[in-house]
Amino acid sequence: MSDNLIILIPFFPLLAAILIAILGPKLLKENSHYVTVLAFAASFVCSLMLFFSVQGQVVEEGTSFESVTTLWTWAAVDNAMIDADGHSVPFLIDVTLRSDALTSIMLCMVTFIATLVAIFGAGYMHGDRGYWRFFAYVSLFVFSMTMLVSVSNFLLLFVFWEAVGLCSYLLIGFWYHKPEASAAGKKAFLVNRVGDFGFALAIFLIWINYGTLNFHDYVVDGQVIIPGVFGQMRLGGALPYVQGGMATAICLLLMLGACGKSAQFPLHVWLPDAMEGPTPVSALIHAATMVTAGVYMVTRCTPLFHASPDAQVTVACIGGFTALLAGLIALTQHDLKRVLAYSTVSQLGYMFLALGTGSLAGIVAGMFHLFTHAFFKALLFLGSGSVMHAMGNVIDMRRFGGLRHLMPWTFRTFLVGCLALAGIFPFAGFWSKDAILASVHDRAYPGAHSHDSQDSEHDADHDADQDADDHATHSVALLSADHAGSNQADSYTNIYVWLYRSACFTAFLTAFYTFRAFFLTFYGPQVIPDESGHHAHESPPMMWIPLAILAIFAFLIGFVSELDHKFAHLLTSTPSLAFAGMHDTMQPGGFHMDIAISSSIIAVLGIALAAFLYLGHQREVEAISKLKLVAPLRALSLNKFYLDEIYTWAVVKPLEFLGIIYFWLDRWLVDGLVNLIGKVPVALGSGFRYLQTGLLPFYSLSMVVAMLILLFLGQVLWGGG
Amino acid sequence: MDVSSLLLLSIALPLLGAIFIGLVAPGDRGSIRTVAFVISLMTFGCVVAVVSQFPTGSEMFATKSITWLPASTGIECQISVGLDGLSLWLYGLSGLLMLTAILVSWTAISERPALFYSMLLLLESGCLGVFAAQDLMLFYVFFEFTLIPLFFLIGIWGSEDRRYAAIKFFLFTLAGSLLTFVGLITLVVSVYNMSDSADRILTFSIPKLTDALALRPLDAKLQIWLFAALFAGFAIKVPLFPLHTWLPLAHVQAPTAGSVILAGVLLKIGTYGFLRFSIPMLPAATEFWTPWLLWLSVIGIIYGALVALVQSDIKKLIAYSSVSHLGFCMLGLFALNRLGVQGATLQMINHGISTGGLFALVGMLYERYHTRQISSYSGLAKKLPVLTFFMLIFTFSSIGLPGMNGFAGEIMILTGMFQKAWHGAEAVGGLKIVSVLAVSGVVLGAWYMLWLVQRVFFGPLVEPHDTHDHGSHAVHDLSFREIAALVPLCIFVFWIGLYPKFFLDRMAPTLDKSIPSAVANSSDLNESVAFAASKDRSLD
Repeated sequence: MSDNLIILIPFFPLLAAILIAILGPKLLKENSHYVTVLAFAASFVCSLMLFFSVQGQVVEEGTSFESVTTLWTWAAVDNAMIDADGHSVPFLIDVTLRSDALTSIMLCMVTFIATLVAIFGAGYMHGDRGYWRFFAYVSLFVFSMTMLVSVSNFLLLFVFWEAVGLCSYLLIGFWYHKPEASAAGKKAFLVNRVGDFGFALAIFLIWINYGTLNFHDYVVDGQVIIPGVFGQMRLGGALPYVQGGMATAICLLLMLGACGKSAQFPLHVWLPDAMEGPTPVSALIHAATMVTAGVYMVTRCTPLFHASPDAQVTVACIGGFTALLAGLIALTQHDLKRVLAYSTVSQLGYMFLALGTGSLAGIVAGMFHLFTHAFFKALLFLGSGSVMHAMGNVIDMRRFGGLRHLMPWTFRTFLVGCLALAGIFPFAGFWSKDAILASVHDRAYPGAHSHDSQDSEHDADHDADQDADDHATHSVALLSADHAGSNQADSYTNIYVWLYRSACFTAFLTAFYTFRAFFLTFYGPQVIPDESGHHAHESPPMMWIPLAILAIFAFLIGFVSELDHKFAHLLTSTPSLAFAGMHDTMQPGGFHMDIAISSSIIAVLGIALAAFLYLGHQREVEAISKLKLVAPLRALSLNKFYLDEIYTWAVVKPLEFLGIIYFWLDRWLVDGLVNLIGKVPVALGSGFRYLQTGLLPFYSLSMVVAMLILLFLGQVLWGGG
Repeated sequence: MDVSSLLLLSIALPLLGAIFIGLVAPGDRGSIRTVAFVISLMTFGCVVAVVSQFPTGSEMFATKSITWLPASTGIECQISVGLDGLSLWLYGLSGLLMLTAILVSWTAISERPALFYSMLLLLESGCLGVFAAQDLMLFYVFFEFTLIPLFFLIGIWGSEDRRYAAIKFFLFTLAGSLLTFVGLITLVVSVYNMSDSADRILTFSIPKLTDALALRPLDAKLQIWLFAALFAGFAIKVPLFPLHTWLPLAHVQAPTAGSVILAGVLLKIGTYGFLRFSIPMLPAATEFWTPWLLWLSVIGIIYGALVALVQSDIKKLIAYSSVSHLGFCMLGLFALNRLGVQGATLQMINHGISTGGLFALVGMLYERYHTRQISSYSGLAKKLPVLTFFMLIFTFSSIGLPGMNGFAGEIMILTGMFQKAWHGAEAVGGLKIVSVLAVSGVVLGAWYMLWLVQRVFFGPLVEPHDTHDHGSHAVHDLSFREIAALVPLCIFVFWIGLYPKFFLDRMAPTLDKSIPSAVANSSDLNESVAFAASKDRSLD
């Protein structure tokens, strides 16, 4: 049954996209959203069924579960390559969908948020000229996104990776008549292309090293013909993973791809600009789903990263640094949506930080945060959309304020989202943020918390030999890799200590900027911009009901998932995570009371500081920002550390300049040479012209001379022989 | 009617049509273009009938030979045609693009229509013939034959600078192809000299020459010179950096139909020549020249893209993008492995479709506003949504968005190139740099195309003032005819993108035949031994 479900889930949105594209302009028009909402809801129901079916299978079959459905063969080239052992390998790309725990969790999240966003969008986009176009694009996006998380092949992952990028491009530039919007769309696409450059290189290297791009084993008649990259043959340890420099290169290139899609430093610059798109799009694509594709991909590639501790620590550093950087930028932004955008960048950095610990606990924490974040960040974005809707599309927080009485539902739900984002007990964000901090803490201080971990008696640097009986399938290669890994990793402990400190500080920043935005928007004297006309009011039920539903989830989902470590147990049944080498790292599920308490204190301090500064008169803010020491820092944050300017002058302008130089060379040098060659016959001809004197004696004389020369030449060259 | 007669008919039909329109039918513009369209439609019918009967396999099909020189002369020179998995697609593409070319000229051409359409049909005959020719002399005749109609198309119906462009185009390609001719004749004579049987015959038959050379390759030194001679003609056609300077000029000046055919079909004759002659017939020289060609290709990819980035003229931008895209084709060809060559062949078709479509669209835009300056446009999406829609499709096809045709070709070429650089016995640092640089071309490609789209179609609406001077007050979106010209191309954009296997399966056996010969004769023993060993282990 799961075979059909996994096909139906992307099928409904695709059908909706096609239907709206065909019928939208003439027939559906203002009713286009019905098709989309119905399709998304159907997909969501299927996703839920798939989820429970997978969960049932996991309980039945024990540790690891996957099921693969092949649709058609995209391309096949026999004997494409000879691998290291002299076997011939075909280049075989099947369109295959997989269902496993990771996929089913992602599918549920994506389709659920998408359904609510579509309902909200029907209200938000009401009356827009491109109403049907909006729903066609969004349906196409959900199709691509569901495919992205369910395909079982690197090349197809790349295909849908680009496809979601295309939808993002189309939707950011949805109001294409706005120059900023179309520029932002192009910027998003290009920055993502830079990431895709890395992803593509990684795919080529994977192909060369593994001889396949499939995740799963290619099985014919029960025999594994081509072992997949994350197939049971490799995960079981029967075949080794590439180690050393090549492993690091593959992982870093994959990470470059993830940096593009998930807006990590240095490729994060497109996401804030992407806020030019309609707000439901920001909520769905640029907060909850598409931008998490990088996190999903790195999670899926855990076995590859496991082979390279260097790459893992790089992932952690990129994540930690991005979280901090984006948190600092978010402090001073005036635009409500941009605060949230930088917050998304920052939270994605958090997820990568967790993945970068390389432990099972960390990866589960990263995915858990991805899951909870989707709910509360979508809520916050939709909330800001509701504000924007009422304020006549003004989103500058200096131009409105004190909206709590005007928009009670938006106010309440937004508060829930803020509390979840800040990580206050028992809201969703609290649980996942705590899991991340705990995993980083465990990585930084090995052994300190072993008494808390209920499922595991081991630490990172335990002796793998004790365990050899439990994991009989271990190959020698994997064991030695583990040893090499943990030994080498130890030299990184210091880095993780700093990352932990930075993560705690980021938690403080998060609480602060979130509530700064909250207080500026909903507290203080009521200010309404002229653009809203005189009828600023709460949004219609079609918009606030999705907010309310999301608020309930933002409140509960963390707590519910944390019960019995349900989320962790299910997720670790994903083949990529349930491999032998991984079990030697820390087990998930450790709840650290001391970290929970300290991080809560940090969050409350952040909120308190925001309340102190931004509730009531903002005398202190003005005073502080005038301080000699603070003013330049504030400028730095306000101008996003001048990264856009740096890129323009360090990359864009030089390349354009190079193009101009080349064009000039093309015209004068390359073409000049060609023209010069073209002039040779003309020059010769004009030289010969003087010989044509018209005088008969001259001609006869030259004839005689020429014949003499020919005779002489003939004698010299051939006559001798 | 059997398939080989259909093949001959498809080549003869446009030729006869051209003569008919040029000499017999006086008529007005309306009836001339209708006749031309009907003829090209009938031709396309023949082409489809031929292509659809292609039996998958490496054998030449639809072969037919008509003796031209009697055997008693000791020269085997025939009017011999046939198709295989390589030429079939380019043959089909020529038939398809000609329909587009005629439809986009419908209203654009008002001057001397009879001459125009007869030239266009002559060109079609030449294009179809050049790919179907199985005789070297016939190939060369068609090869040169394509020059003349295009020379007139550019010279008579081109824009301001048409004379200079036409002469430059003609002389440039003619100079190259004369060298090619010398090379081909030398090749034929060398094969004749090499044979020691009593009843040897001076053969011009391409399959026979290929077989003979596969059995007994020529002296390596001679090969290297012959390769250089063939290179002169083919590389100019491709065009490979730095022999490309005729291309932007010719494209900008040519009428839309000329650009469509030039980019779509004529450039492919160069890559086709490499794959049909240079690589299988001169394996040692191929090995010798490969590193140079790979470098030139990758320089072309990046150079073309960067120059495209700074163009102010839409057509010139697309012309330079062709330099970049054909660099990818050459890169795949000279990766000399299955993935690379199949990808390159697919990419030849892809480039024909997407660039043909782009030139057609630019022509439609030019017909409406009479300018090609990017800066005079903005926000046309509002005014011309359908045109913008098609523009987006072909743009994304051109920059290799997955699901569309460009992606399938590019990814196979690059995978093949990576394999060569990392896996072959000749894995050297230089090739690794080439392959990584080539991937960066994908980023640049997206940049110039999307920037073009952003400037012309998005933003606030700005229309060139020129339209009002011409009195055409109302600018309309695409007409049914214009949509009909584009839709067939779109079908192939998605067909190749979603199911490239259909095409790959049908070209693979033929391409394999030309590639192992290149591999087996190279010093890359490891790979060729493994190839032979792997035959039985292959997966089907």
